Amino acid sequence: MKIILLNGSPKNKDSASGIILTALQERIGKTHECVICHAANQDKQEIIQAISGANALVVSFPLYVDGIPSHLLRLLDEIQHEIADTAPGLLVYAIVNNGFYEGRQNVTALDMMRNFCDRAGLAWGQGVGVGAGGMAGAAPVGHGPMKNLGSALDLLAENILGNNSAEDYIFEPNFPRFLYKASAHVGWKMQARKNGLKADMLYGK
Amino acid sequence: MYKKLILHDLSNGEAEEIIPQESAEYTIFPANPAVHHCIGCFGCWVKTPGRCVLKDRGSDFAVLMSQHDQVIVISRLVFGGLSPEVKSVLDRSIGFILPFFRIVDGEMHHTKRYEKSPDLSYLLYGPDINEREKATAQKLVAANALNFGAENYSIAFYQSFHEMKEALA
Repeated sequence: MKIILLNGSPKNKDSASGIILTALQERIGKTHECVICHAANQDKQEIIQAISGANALVVSFPLYVDGIPSHLLRLLDEIQHEIADTAPGLLVYAIVNNGFYEGRQNVTALDMMRNFCDRAGLAWGQGVGVGAGGMAGAAPVGHGPMKNLGSALDLLAENILGNNSAEDYIFEPNFPRFLYKASAHVGWKMQARKNGLKADMLYGK
Repeated sequence: MYKKLILHDLSNGEAEEIIPQESAEYTIFPANPAVHHCIGCFGCWVKTPGRCVLKDRGSDFAVLMSQHDQVIVISRLVFGGLSPEVKSVLDRSIGFILPFFRIVDGEMHHTKRYEKSPDLSYLLYGPDINEREKATAQKLVAANALNFGAENYSIAFYQSFHEMKEALA
């Protein structure tokens, strides 16, 4: 099979979307052609060429203002009329991660990806909504707080390799919400101090 | 005076037909030519709080939001969401809110930087808008209002620029 994994984070390294795709790539295994592309670094023609003849496209991105990050949205808008011709029978999967705790806050962005499929004339595979995406690097995928992420990606890899469509899979990390909230607050203040700001300056107008 | 900030992705010619002149009441922010996209650095939260660190006009929008009573977003509807050009401006404007979290009706959201948030009004246009795209956009405007702290929001759909022009006349 040919499977294209499209990283929709604007960041080149250390993105939750990238960590998720690397873990998915491991689960798909080396017997398949499985390549990671990057929407922020590759233009429309490169992406169209990469997707050519593929069986599955998996788009992984962070939730931005309740939707798709603008650079990825631009790419999807540009390729919507050509992609079905270049990869007939392509199944599209999407993994959206957000900074909030609840995975369900990603469902509107998953709807947008389904609407993209409708406009592009492509079949929808499955949506995955990842809560507290910023934690993706906190532990190896499949272990500790990232246990649920591992299970979700096991299931997704199975669906991709089986050419299956499935219901959305929405989940949170194996970590309580109040601790996530508290550690995020500590983290913002630490970052401020690293930048030479006092914590109360984060509230500046 | 109830001050309005209009963010739109219309061509110059279309804008001339329906967008009011800049005045004490109206501030106009064209989404074209497109501003640079958000690079995900969180600088607007932890380096220059309230303002995007990138050096183009896209960094002005968050502060403009705080100075107006209503934000009117005129956008081509793309996959049930906003156009890439309009979205680029909003992605750059999360400095309007704080990085800290609060729980609202059992869900995590951001806390507010400013006491008051502008009302949101989305006017979305495009050919062959279908019911699923409308439903997506309804969810989007509600979520955007909640996350920007807006108390009031509205949404309208137009199948073409001309339909929108007649409705606004």
